[in-house]
Amino acid sequence: MRQAGRWRSRVALGVPAAVALLLLVVPLVALLFRADWARIPSDLATPTVLPALRLSLTTTSCTAILCLLLGTPLAWLLARSDTTATSWLRAVLTVPLVLPPVVGGVALLMTWGRNGLLGQYLSPFGIQIPFTTVAVVLAETFVAMPYYVLAVEGAMRGLDPRLESVARTLGASDLRYLRTVGIPLVLPGIASGLALAWARALGEFGATITFAGNFQGRTQTLPLLVYVELERDPQVAISISILLLAVSVLVLGVLRGRWLR
Amino acid sequence: MSIPTPGSGHLDARIRLRRGQTEVDVALSAQPGQVIGVLGPNGGGKTTTVLALAGVLPLEAGHVRLGPDLWDDGDRRVPPEQRAVGLMLADSLLFPHLRAVDNVAYGPRSRGVDRHTARERAVDELRRVGLAERADARPRELSSGQQARVALARALATDPSLLLLDEPLAALDPDTRARTRSDLAARLAGYGGVTVLVTHDPLDALTLADHLVFVEDGRVSQAGTPAEVLGEPRSPYVATVVGLNLYAGQGDSHGHVTTPTGALLVTTDPTEGPVWATVPPQGVALHRSRPDGSPRNTWSLRVASVTMQGQSARVGLEGDLALTAEVTLESVAGLGIRVGEQLWAAVKATEVRTYPR
Repeated sequence: MRQAGRWRSRVALGVPAAVALLLLVVPLVALLFRADWARIPSDLATPTVLPALRLSLTTTSCTAILCLLLGTPLAWLLARSDTTATSWLRAVLTVPLVLPPVVGGVALLMTWGRNGLLGQYLSPFGIQIPFTTVAVVLAETFVAMPYYVLAVEGAMRGLDPRLESVARTLGASDLRYLRTVGIPLVLPGIASGLALAWARALGEFGATITFAGNFQGRTQTLPLLVYVELERDPQVAISISILLLAVSVLVLGVLRGRWLR
Repeated sequence: MSIPTPGSGHLDARIRLRRGQTEVDVALSAQPGQVIGVLGPNGGGKTTTVLALAGVLPLEAGHVRLGPDLWDDGDRRVPPEQRAVGLMLADSLLFPHLRAVDNVAYGPRSRGVDRHTARERAVDELRRVGLAERADARPRELSSGQQARVALARALATDPSLLLLDEPLAALDPDTRARTRSDLAARLAGYGGVTVLVTHDPLDALTLADHLVFVEDGRVSQAGTPAEVLGEPRSPYVATVVGLNLYAGQGDSHGHVTTPTGALLVTTDPTEGPVWATVPPQGVALHRSRPDGSPRNTWSLRVASVTMQGQSARVGLEGDLALTAEVTLESVAGLGIRVGEQLWAAVKATEVRTYPR
């Protein structure tokens, strides 16, 4: 009886778990299986891929820098206060995490477009944001910054608040404490937040194509090129996908090294 | 900003604020050079008092004055970084990424002292706690006792007028605690400012402090010199700390004290009216049968607990009144004392002290 019960529970849990695993793993295997490994280097060196690669690298780097410069202070302010206003702010911040990226793109157009909330003040000066490289950076930042802020805020909340009390009695201002103690102690959190945000920015598709378009050399990043090449030359699309997969695994390796220790 | 000279002022504080469930209202005052020991049960408001003195928590009412400076009056608060305070907490809380010398130099550097002078000062402070040769060690390379000494050096390196020590020895193991306690005493002897030492260890308070303040449930339940408090506890908590049995009762001129539960104590030291009566645990004798002779206090009580302390045992008794007796291990064995048994407890009338409540 008992033996049978154990078997039943194994089957009841094991079968759906195996199906779930198949759903997740088979696509990755399929990608590796269909790749023409010998062609990858030449595929990646074509005149369409190189500009996209360069664009992806520059825009994701800009996004990472924006996260670092703007997201770190925001994370700090969120970590320190416990008012209802901050919990609302944190909730708003998580919206881009779950928002369909296309909707994010539409929202960005409504903000920076010719008649947008902010764009209407820029167009008289001849400044056009949509469908430029700046738009790519804004789209990537919109989807990636929440990851960074939440990761860094978590690390900052882990700091013993009494360290700050001690530092302040020693004469340190808020800024000095942040610079000399707060940030050095959350460097691992900042590193993993950056890796996470950068990886998310690298994969950005929906908001970018909606808000920045798909112009070669200007707004066509690697994911957008994959989409185009899939129609034109699927083998090139697979080669780029392998490259993006390799980068993702690399980022994951960096993150795991941080988190498992 | 200039660093004020140490020991420049008299502390005069009335801390009034609400934190969690506790309404704190604690008055403290001390002369330069004095060490005030603040004792009390956990959650009673000790740490709140310290954080308010440091400026980390704002007062709701009352005041904190140090010498001529008003630090807080419930409306305007001088922030911690502009107060001449040093703060040392239970687990040292050194900055883990900084070497010992940089931890100690952090205060002077934050207050605008140049790198070279701050480092010289830090090495000097480390030397005064006997750690000059560990200046370049990281906190994790130091023992817990050494970490505590670095934390003290760091707190003193800014020449605070007010030094706040919140359970400075609580995180140490017993051996380290005893050694660090004497290091602490030696260093405090050379300090000219006011020290507020929060502790729940009576030994810390008695060896380091020259004035004791007991804080229970947000209020000062008793204050005085160690000698005063040792002889005349005025709350059950204080009595436990100083190791006396304490009873509130009504005294008459014949030397009788009646407790609210109806128990009667006989004393040769009569006080009339509402009184406190103390019985030292060493003054309690235990017997199997009712002892002869008078005038003595005898009660038939039930054994509630037995704990060992070195060569003696503390026997907790319950019945008409709660009584702790301290007896030798021989008598524990000889009488065959077991939890749940009825025994006779006898106390000479000369052992019972009374004083007005």
